[in-house]
Amino acid sequence: MNPVSRLLTLRKLGIGANRAARRRVIFNIVLITLVVSILVLAQIFVVSMSRGIADKWALLADGHLQLYVDKRQPMIEHPSIETIDRVGEVNALLYSPDKNQMVRVKGVEQSYFNDSRLAQLTITQSENASPSTLAKIMISTTLAERLAVKIDDRLALMLVSNDAIRAQLCIIGALYDTGYHELDEQLVFCDLDFLEHLFTSGVTVYYEVLTQERNLETVKGDFERAGYMATTWKEQNPALSGNLETSRQAVLAVMVAVAILCGYFISELSSQMVEDDKARIATLHLIGAQPQVVRRAYWTAVMVITTVSIALGTALGILFARQLPPLLATIAARSYSALSFYLLDFPIRVPVLDLSIIASVLFCVSAVSVHLSLRRVSAIDALSCVRFD
Amino acid sequence: MKRSTDLVYLHQVSKSFPATLRGGEPIQILESVDLTVQRSRAIAITGNSGSGKSTLLQIAAGLMGCDHGEVWFEHEKLGEMDNRALSALRSRRMGFIFQASLLLEDFTASENVEMAAMIGGSSKGEARDKAHEILSLVGLSARLSHRPDQLSGGEKQRVAIARALVNEPAILFADEPTGSLDEGNAAMVEDLLFSLVRQKEVALLLVTHNLSFARRCDEIHRISERNLEVIG
Ligand SMILES: Nc1ncnc2c1ncn2[C@@H]1O[C@H](COP(=O)(O)OP(=O)(O)OP(=O)(O)O)[C@@H](O)[C@H]1O
Ligand SMILES: [Mg+2]
Repeated sequence: MNPVSRLLTLRKLGIGANRAARRRVIFNIVLITLVVSILVLAQIFVVSMSRGIADKWALLADGHLQLYVDKRQPMIEHPSIETIDRVGEVNALLYSPDKNQMVRVKGVEQSYFNDSRLAQLTITQSENASPSTLAKIMISTTLAERLAVKIDDRLALMLVSNDAIRAQLCIIGALYDTGYHELDEQLVFCDLDFLEHLFTSGVTVYYEVLTQERNLETVKGDFERAGYMATTWKEQNPALSGNLETSRQAVLAVMVAVAILCGYFISELSSQMVEDDKARIATLHLIGAQPQVVRRAYWTAVMVITTVSIALGTALGILFARQLPPLLATIAARSYSALSFYLLDFPIRVPVLDLSIIASVLFCVSAVSVHLSLRRVSAIDALSCVRFD
Repeated sequence: MKRSTDLVYLHQVSKSFPATLRGGEPIQILESVDLTVQRSRAIAITGNSGSGKSTLLQIAAGLMGCDHGEVWFEHEKLGEMDNRALSALRSRRMGFIFQASLLLEDFTASENVEMAAMIGGSSKGEARDKAHEILSLVGLSARLSHRPDQLSGGEKQRVAIARALVNEPAILFADEPTGSLDEGNAAMVEDLLFSLVRQKEVALLLVTHNLSFARRCDEIHRISERNLEVIG
């Protein structure tokens, strides 16, 4: 860099400048940092929530992959397969003394609630030691509230099929909470043996495969080549997975739009700098400085401010995001009904790609708009400094 | 005719300004003015206020165009040069001092001079050496790291002289350089200016209405009736 540009840039950055100039620079950095951190926080929030919802759905409702098979068959091996569980499912009506609710009953084996699934829900077991002969089921706290029952209460489970109505009394052996009421208000767990024994023909039996999300399609392909009928949880819930993806993209689009506005704001900042420094720039022109040397100095100063702010804002946004879970837990504990469609308990994930998109859009938009706004530097007449006095 | 030894050569230069911002009949300031500044010569321009002294200086320095006539600097016609070339010319071959010192506020005395040196093509280190040397010539060795707001009017003007001369220009354009100083300071700056101009063999185009100041030059021209007359 030209030594003239470098000296001007340093001074514009407040290095070796007076306190007022330094304060202005810091003020601008704080302002842009704040905007960026809010963008980053919002994007992390939305992505983490939608991935949280997706995870809950995949892990508790359908598995990443569902395999439909006639009988127990040997499964294929794949390094990215975590578990394969045999699951039975019926749709049934659940009756409490006062209310009833259509539910999806999943019969699962002991091994079903492995660590990754347990991470998705909190289970409260009955403390009642005296064994009951009744079959135990596990319903969500949401459903328990709706049916006005509590742990150890009895419920009637009624399967409606074409040929018959069969009812079975059972007892609430445990309550669970996923934090996502859309999912757990109609999902009931019980022993697979119990379900098969009771409802025999009405039970749909399939296998739930847990795998890594990014290998979903390859694993599915492998199963299909091996002759299985496989559906992903996304195919099973097209509306939900579509909505999650759309909302992520929509929020990203909004964030990008805000980043563009912010880039424009940064160019206003550089315009203001030039406006304030008109007399100085005129003097520089008078003593023979080339306008592009002056322009480069201002551009570099503003872009250093922008880059520092983007870095700080991103770090701050991530830091804020990490403080979210306890905050959300407090909000969730208040159980506002308006929030019941939202998941308030999810791990924070930093969407590196999305954040890079936001940061690079902000950087590029400011780089270009600052460059354009600095064209006015060339228009400052060297003589204007003489006329100012 | 322009001679090859002429540094600045104005031939039949005319300049008018619009009467109002909206235009109207233009007011003629200069009409068919001829002026030659030879190397190492000091020329004074005097005249009444508003007679066009500053205008003439700015035209001669290429800071302002003229309506008619030719302006030469060394072997080039200023009217045919682009802004880039004019800037380069100003940075290397011309120095400027005005009534206001026009120092950059955020920069120290030394940095103000270094900046001019770097614009003139010096590296950072060279610029520093040159700046310190010339600032000691104007008696400001002890004020190197003072900012303009920490300097007196006379000191600021001495920094401006140092800045104007740091690139060893061929000519110094000075427009009322002592106009805003008290008598004592004015005399001191005046002495300094002449001693440096003579010592470094720099040509001087000095605009002033102070006749005793003008008399120290080799020639005195006066603008009257839109033209120049030699009065000394
Ligand atoms: N950019 C301009 N636009 C319009 N009129 C101008 C412009 N510059 C100068 N003038 C006019 O031209 C005339 C000459 O101005 P100039 O500044 O050259 O006078 P001067 O001799 O330097 O006066 P002073 O001694 O007061 O500095 C003045 O009447 C002034 O109003
Ligand atoms: Mg004047």
